[in-house]
Amino acid sequence: MITSIAWKNVWRNRTRSLTVIAAVTVGVFASVFALAAINSSIVQRIDSAVNEELSHIQVNTKEFRSSSDILNIISEPDKVAETLRKTPGVTDVTGRIIVRGIASAPSGSAGVEITGIDIEKEKQMFTLSGKLIPGTGSYFGADTKLNSAFIGEKLARELQIIRYILTAESLTALVDKGVPSAVTDRLKPLEGQRFTTEKKLTEAYYRLLTPKEIKKYGLAIREAAWSYREGSRVILSFLDVNGNQTGAAYRICGIFRTNNDLFEATSVFVPMEELRRLTGLEDGVYHRFIARLEENDMTDRVTPVLKEALPGLEVMNWKEIQVDLAMIADYINQIYAIFMVLILAALSFGIVNTMLMAVLERTRELGMLSAVGMNRRRIFLMIMLESVFLSVVGGFTGMAVSGIVIGITNHTGINLVKYSEGLEAFGYSAHLYPTIGADFFIILTVLIVITGILSAVYPARKALQLNPVEALRGE
Amino acid sequence: MNVVEINDVYKTYHDTEVEVRAVNGVTLSFTKGDFAVIVGPSGSGKTTLLNLIGGLDQPTTGEIIVAGHRLSELKPSELIDFRMEHVGFVFQSYNLIPVLTAAENVGFIMSLQKWPKEKRMARTGELLEAVGLADRHNSRPSQLSGGQQQRVAVARALAPRPEFILADEPTANLDSKSAETLLDIMEKLNREEEMTFIFSTHDARVMKRARRVITLEDGKVVSDERTNHRE
Ligand SMILES: Nc1ncnc2c1ncn2[C@@H]1O[C@H](COP(=O)(O)OP(=O)(O)O)[C@@H](O)[C@H]1O
Ligand SMILES: [Mg+2]
Repeated sequence: MITSIAWKNVWRNRTRSLTVIAAVTVGVFASVFALAAINSSIVQRIDSAVNEELSHIQVNTKEFRSSSDILNIISEPDKVAETLRKTPGVTDVTGRIIVRGIASAPSGSAGVEITGIDIEKEKQMFTLSGKLIPGTGSYFGADTKLNSAFIGEKLARELQIIRYILTAESLTALVDKGVPSAVTDRLKPLEGQRFTTEKKLTEAYYRLLTPKEIKKYGLAIREAAWSYREGSRVILSFLDVNGNQTGAAYRICGIFRTNNDLFEATSVFVPMEELRRLTGLEDGVYHRFIARLEENDMTDRVTPVLKEALPGLEVMNWKEIQVDLAMIADYINQIYAIFMVLILAALSFGIVNTMLMAVLERTRELGMLSAVGMNRRRIFLMIMLESVFLSVVGGFTGMAVSGIVIGITNHTGINLVKYSEGLEAFGYSAHLYPTIGADFFIILTVLIVITGILSAVYPARKALQLNPVEALRGE
Repeated sequence: MNVVEINDVYKTYHDTEVEVRAVNGVTLSFTKGDFAVIVGPSGSGKTTLLNLIGGLDQPTTGEIIVAGHRLSELKPSELIDFRMEHVGFVFQSYNLIPVLTAAENVGFIMSLQKWPKEKRMARTGELLEAVGLADRHNSRPSQLSGGQQQRVAVARALAPRPEFILADEPTANLDSKSAETLLDIMEKLNREEEMTFIFSTHDARVMKRARRVITLEDGKVVSDERTNHRE
């Protein structure tokens, strides 16, 4: 009876209730969705940091990171590798030799870190091979020679191995993609011209198109003009074990694209054997061992074990290497909490206000109810139920909308490429796939109900303070 | 048998500088089956007296005994239960719960008293019939005229068979025809259900219909007459 009256009372002032419900819905949705988006970009960032760049744990000499001396090699490498392999939780171990040097091409050069890797092993341990840009070759494919290098897109641009040419075919492809031929016709003067940087290309078409067209089609034009000549060469030079300048011409076998510009700009991967020959580092000698764990969650547990087992070496997990990322990862719970507080505060504010208004408006009716014998407990319960209904309807609608939108965008992704330059420079993907834990949903749902109940207390107490005689007077 | 006994009751308000004796030494009793009206000019203390009898307010001094309960001995929460169990109220307006239908309003106090559903429905049907609204079970208060709303309020007050029904100027907002109809119904229920009615008015038409007229002036009973015009 009371429940049904309370429910009907919610719908008495339809406009007001719907407004509150809509406000709560929007508030919950906005917060949950924003959180899901943030969460997604952090999850992706961690994912790519671990799977493409760092793996879980790295071991090298204590001086390795601060000095570029090629002789900072791990002593007793077999023993170290064995220790790593035998540690519970470790699934895979690989060794690397790493030298700092310069990569140069005819029209550019850059400081790089050249890493000699065990190609097959690293393919299992990292997903970087899958980040190959289609059309740029392969990850050390079948025809790989020893002097092949796998480099990042950013470096390729800096070395101007990637260029921009609008060919007749690429212009036709643009039309197929939906760019009006009026636009491509005006791009005709650029056909066949070669631009060494994206900037030069941009400057060229800026003069030919309207700002609106540039905004709409710029990205497509840049993508169409992107071109890479397979088999481009790059000279890698560095010091050998004796401190003598050495180096060789490497054929670029493939170019990878990640979300981390810094990693892309400085990493060059080459087969280990050739690098050993050039540097004079002997077989079995390594600068760094990399260990992969069964699960990322084990990182904090396994790291101290290894630190203890390998006292003379620097043992660092990805969180220690990428402190900023680890901090964000660790703070995600605090971020969750802040968002929850925001959602709930907004909810509570709306409910308290609406219910106070409802109580004050119904003074006489509440007085009458008390006069005819509706006791305090029942009146309290009625107002509480009204508030709870309001918050639960609003909260759940918000959760449902959030759930659906997150579900959809998690599949389709949100493309931020247009605004992404800032993001990718810091290693965050320009494509978001919002995601949020089921636990967050459950906790938030429970908290919404609790907040609804708590927010109801004040208005319900107000209702109890009404004196029926006073309330009914003035008839 | 006395349903209500009022012994030397005073009710004083100190809200303003001057003290107002809204009820100023009243001694009265009502017996089962009374059809009594309290008359008097505005401000003479009718509402205050009815509120005291109904347990909505406590006297400053004096004793009120209703159905064997000394009201001064009841705690506020017990007073609410007392009202639910023993008193039927009809106010001048704002009687009904706007979100409920006529039938649900009639059933409201019975459901507070946890009557079983079938009994409640049967009683509701019987009473809506008695107040001439058998065809308005599902109407909301907003769909009823003022007179019809008051009839629903009477039916609700009567439904759980209280000791008596208090009605504070129940016809004040009604046109004369609706007022007549309401009084006809109250009279009939008084006769058929032997329900005690105590109501107030300053309307002469209403006064004429009562079998007992108590006149208040400045919080004092100045006359208490039994008329036999019905018999
Ligand atoms: N809560 C109150 N505070 C102060 N004065 C009151 C209060 N209630 C009633 N009074 C005063 O008591 C007197 C009687 O009022 P009331 O019982 O409402 O008379 P009636 O119903 O006959 O018009 C009036 O003078 C009124 O102003
Ligand atoms: Mg009055």
